[in-house]
Amino acid sequence: MANEKTSAIIKRNLFTENQVLRAILGICSSLAVTNTMRNSLVMGLGVAFVTGLSSLTLSAMRNIIPHRVRMLVQTLVIAAYVIFVDLFLQAFLPDISKHLGPYVGLIITNCIIMGRAEAYAQQNPPLPAALDGLFAGLGYTLVLLGVAFIREVLGFGTIFGMNINFIGFETWTIMIMPPAAFFIIGAMIWVMSARAANKAAKAK
Amino acid sequence: MKRGHVYTFLFMVVITAVLVFALAAAYEGFKPSIQRNKQLQEQRAVLSALGLDEGLKDNQIAAVYEEKIKPGKLNGFEEAYGMPILAHIENGETLAYAVPIEGSGLWGALRGYLGVNADRTQTTGLVFTYQNETPGLGGRIDEDWFKNQFRGLPITPNTLMAYGSVEDKDIDAITGATQTSSAVMRTINKSLTEIVFSEEVK
Repeated sequence: MANEKTSAIIKRNLFTENQVLRAILGICSSLAVTNTMRNSLVMGLGVAFVTGLSSLTLSAMRNIIPHRVRMLVQTLVIAAYVIFVDLFLQAFLPDISKHLGPYVGLIITNCIIMGRAEAYAQQNPPLPAALDGLFAGLGYTLVLLGVAFIREVLGFGTIFGMNINFIGFETWTIMIMPPAAFFIIGAMIWVMSARAANKAAKAK
Repeated sequence: MKRGHVYTFLFMVVITAVLVFALAAAYEGFKPSIQRNKQLQEQRAVLSALGLDEGLKDNQIAAVYEEKIKPGKLNGFEEAYGMPILAHIENGETLAYAVPIEGSGLWGALRGYLGVNADRTQTTGLVFTYQNETPGLGGRIDEDWFKNQFRGLPITPNTLMAYGSVEDKDIDAITGATQTSSAVMRTINKSLTEIVFSEEVK
């Protein structure tokens, strides 16, 4: 695992071991923010940025962090990056900051970030750790966008806020509500698990 | 290497100090832009509540605000909920007021401005400057289609505003965000009864 190839890190985080669909992490925000694609995209990029940088930092410090307090340190570093992202958005992208107000804080509570810090950054050098964090975040973004696509098209009849409801079908209110995300993410997890089980059976 | 309590303790002190210092430096560095953005947002909100912000670019906001907005006195009140009431004045004539509003939404406070014309017969607009509602659901109170419903609505003393038909217009609540929609109405009505039509002169 120490010398994992970059392409392997990317493939693992985006597909085969997608954090949302395979590790079932980050479910809370996946349910909450996926009713529009725009929110999903910005939330996803925020998480990818923080996961990448916190993994990089924690990996660089991995030999000097006392084992007993490593989770405290992880939380501190992650919180510092999230606050930085929040300040940065307020200073340079005020519009996005206004739309995301409540979300930016939610990034801290995203288990994917600490999950990657614990599972990978602790044992690996900074560069692979940063890549792993970044692509774990992008894998999360991918799932969010997939779920948001289904929900936004059926719930609002739009994609990224652009109207595509040319035939004028009745939009489904349930798609805007959190339960819709349960069904969609549930179905996605089912497909991914079935695929993994299939593969494991063939390998035997 | 086995490390003792002293190392652990010192490590935490140092890393906390370093991170706090870095964030404080970042905050100081970003502060001027953050404050400029906040002021711009506030000024645009006031102009929007008065129906004056259409087509204005960010760099025109401050000038228009300077020219048309002055502290105002409505119904004897100079402020509402700790914020000054602002008046839209052109050629020495007061045309409308932007009244600060405050209430509680589903998740947190709601703050913003309700615009009413000078003789208190119509609203000129509604805008929120602070809200923590569910993004994509209650958070849609920031969208134009929702806010624009509150332009030019008739208001009279002792009559509460409600969703449904008002004269020839429909005011729609947000689907899936009943709590937030009601909170918005409550907030408006609170402002109407406590400030706009409260005859108690302060």
